[in-house]
Amino acid sequence: MSKKIITPVASLAHILPEDYRDLVEKGPHGKSVGIKDLGSFKEITEEHPHCAGCGVSLGVRLALAALPAPEDTLVVGTPGCSFFALSQTAVNYSNTAFGNQNSVASGLKRMLSIRYPDKDKDVVVMAGDGGIADIGLDMTLHSWFRGEKISTIMLDNEVYGNTGGQESGMSPEGQVLHMAPKGKNFKKIPVFEMARTAGCVYGARVTIASPKRLGRAVNRAILLARELGPTYVQIYTPCPTNMKFSPADTIRIAKEAGSTHYAFEEFMTEEAALRIAVMEGEQGKIQD
Amino acid sequence: MYLSVRVDKEKCIGCKICITSCPEPNVFIFLPEQKLVEVNESRCKACGLCTTVCAKEALKIG
Ligand code: SF4
Ligand code: SF4
Ligand code: SF4
Repeated sequence: MSKKIITPVASLAHILPEDYRDLVEKGPHGKSVGIKDLGSFKEITEEHPHCAGCGVSLGVRLALAALPAPEDTLVVGTPGCSFFALSQTAVNYSNTAFGNQNSVASGLKRMLSIRYPDKDKDVVVMAGDGGIADIGLDMTLHSWFRGEKISTIMLDNEVYGNTGGQESGMSPEGQVLHMAPKGKNFKKIPVFEMARTAGCVYGARVTIASPKRLGRAVNRAILLARELGPTYVQIYTPCPTNMKFSPADTIRIAKEAGSTHYAFEEFMTEEAALRIAVMEGEQGKIQD
Repeated sequence: MYLSVRVDKEKCIGCKICITSCPEPNVFIFLPEQKLVEVNESRCKACGLCTTVCAKEALKIG
């Protein structure tokens, strides 16, 4: 499919909304831009209702800026704080019933592979810890067991943010929350380790305090899913509203987590490692 | 917005760290010729996050 799909008809260009014209003129579609270029291209997300200083919205923004081909990407999400920004995103987006995102994404990916056999159409799940680790865990794991060629990105704020702060499977043990006043009694679910066991060909655990690393992980995950199989990126996206820290401290909190339970880690199969070497060699050549 | 971040153009060195730290889309615009950033004030929520990451103290909420 031509990338000109977003080129407006010349005679109607003047009546298009300003935001749309901006996206056509300065957007990332059809160009090779990424996180390092943020600020010089129109981002894919529009205004959104996240709380000030929200780590989830920063995670969404950085992950979207790292999409290798936004014009050929379908993002699949599920209810939760993550979908506030995602549903206002100028990229193809589909919402699902809570927890169903990996099943819906599997179906959409298969359908797109049949409809566009000669074209890479990336299907990327972007959802919170509640959708992926709690109610959607079985469907997430089964999509990995089946080897679906989709990327799953968890925006892990370690809490149910938009419903007032219930504990999530991903909240750390002992975490005190609005609706867990005595602290959580159970350990954080090891979804990252489960991804490796369940058959993901690539996985990365990062925080929003390392934007370049985050961008590289998302880019690798999507390109590897195109060819080899399921991939997983888990991003720490702290929530100032429920964790009760100042919105100005979101990056500091994420940095601190990066030196404790959110230390950067990557795993990949041998095949994926070889593919990365080739892909990034080619990208290097293009940039030179 | 009643409050927004403002850039001190004398102090900004265009390192772009604020751009990748802001949770709001399209707030910072990078000006390549001048090598500094500009702010779209109507999109800023004045969270102060960018002010804490700017090593040059070029950003202030006002
Ligand atoms: S509740 Fe937390 S995660 Fe949800 S929008 Fe507000 S700061 Fe972000
Ligand atoms: S972080 Fe500070 S010095 Fe760097 S671009 Fe932003 S305002 Fe300028
Ligand atoms: S104060 Fe917050 S919303 Fe405003 S520019 Fe800085 S980081 Fe972005």
